[in-house]
Amino acid sequence: MVSGKPSQVKILKSRKNFNLFLVFLCLTLVFLGKIDLVAIRNIKSFFSDFLAPVTFAFNKPVKEIAGVLEDVKSASSLRDENIRLKSELRRIKVLNSKIASQELELFELRELLKVLPKNKNNIVTGRAITAPGGIFANTVLINAGKDYGIKIGQPAISSYGFVGYVINVGLKTSRVLLTIDINSMIPIYLTESHWPAVAQGQNGDLLVIKFLSSDAKPIDGEVVETSGHGGRLPPGINVGKIFKSFSGTYFVRPSVDFHRLTYISIITNQKQNTTVLDGFQGFAPLQKPIKPSVLKGLDSSGTRKIERIED
Amino acid sequence: MIKNYIITHYLNGFSKNFIYLIFLFFIINFEKSLSFFSLFKIATPSLISIIIFIFIKKLNMVPSYFILFLVGFINDIIIGSSLGTTPIFLLLIKFFSVGLLFDNVNKNDQQDWISFTVTFLVSFCIVFFINIILNSSIPDLSPVFYYVGTTLIFFPIINLSINFIFFIKRLLKS
Repeated sequence: MVSGKPSQVKILKSRKNFNLFLVFLCLTLVFLGKIDLVAIRNIKSFFSDFLAPVTFAFNKPVKEIAGVLEDVKSASSLRDENIRLKSELRRIKVLNSKIASQELELFELRELLKVLPKNKNNIVTGRAITAPGGIFANTVLINAGKDYGIKIGQPAISSYGFVGYVINVGLKTSRVLLTIDINSMIPIYLTESHWPAVAQGQNGDLLVIKFLSSDAKPIDGEVVETSGHGGRLPPGINVGKIFKSFSGTYFVRPSVDFHRLTYISIITNQKQNTTVLDGFQGFAPLQKPIKPSVLKGLDSSGTRKIERIED
Repeated sequence: MIKNYIITHYLNGFSKNFIYLIFLFFIINFEKSLSFFSLFKIATPSLISIIIFIFIKKLNMVPSYFILFLVGFINDIIIGSSLGTTPIFLLLIKFFSVGLLFDNVNKNDQQDWISFTVTFLVSFCIVFFINIILNSSIPDLSPVFYYVGTTLIFFPIINLSINFIFFIKRLLKS
């Protein structure tokens, strides 16, 4: 043991120290990541840009195999699917004729009320590079970045509805935080019971409803849309439907299947109003629309008699 | 002459670690892409922890702490989770796998499985609590249970497959 070689105990000690140093480094990284430094964000986006093609190349074969398996599975139920689609088509045709007349009426009413015209959205569509999976994070990387005018905070949608919003932008890639992620909170509006609330992800399939008034009575199956409160997200984007659990608690079931995301669109003209908080007074519950009145004429005393239509 | 040996020794070490890095990077990407299958829609099993454990216990191939840190760091960037959480998990897996506690226990596959369960659960619980502290809220537990369950089911399957490959190899040699 007099040789110049370092003893085994010394090597073990130095390895242990190095391990401890790495664990300490990791904890520092966790802390730095949480305080959201610009430098960390830039490092992340740089590496995302760099690793995106490699990740895409690794994911592609598995994605294709999964697609083929799904096709084979669906081929076994083609007949049932055909019958279902035919009935669906019939229903949509009936709805379509109704919608056309209602749309015309709506247009005329908007003209009469001088409603401000809606801004047309500029949309940039990118391909989802990574899988959204993960029990601690639910994000997707898309292959469009700063070069297409994407900025942090812009909303992401798919053909089914609201997907999430951009949290990090690189030169060639952007990261979208999905609504099901635990860090995602979006202002929503219950379209039938007319109440605003906030939907928070919980890294599962459903979204928790928060800040809902105690007076509110959500309806099972009612559609939930973005309310646009706070000015960060545009209003009226489909988020999902209300789902009542066995315990009686209400959740939102997202309309988007996050595991089948292939293309994601980013609304790039959404104003990033950072000064919106200056005059912000907090959320006010939306008023239920006043029930329509019908004039029945004058009563015996000469005053006009008004009756309200009951539900 | 001695200088050449040293250079060869370092080159050998570097190439070994580089191959580990590529292999583990492939495994971690494969693990993430499993979520495209409807079976793993809720959560994907942690293949990386199974592979690291088998590498250390069965194949006597010990990836360095730095390689594990690097793989975890890359994984955090790819999936967009908090930087540093996956490296901690991988470092803990190695730490508990190499640890003296289970050194004399691994005599058969069943004990291997018990040893892996303890290693995985302890490492996962630590990382899970770090995440709870980071997010200040408890996530939905069904994906977490699914993740733990599928990982513990997959371990004996992969372990037996490797045993079978070794058996065939020995058979062919004999």
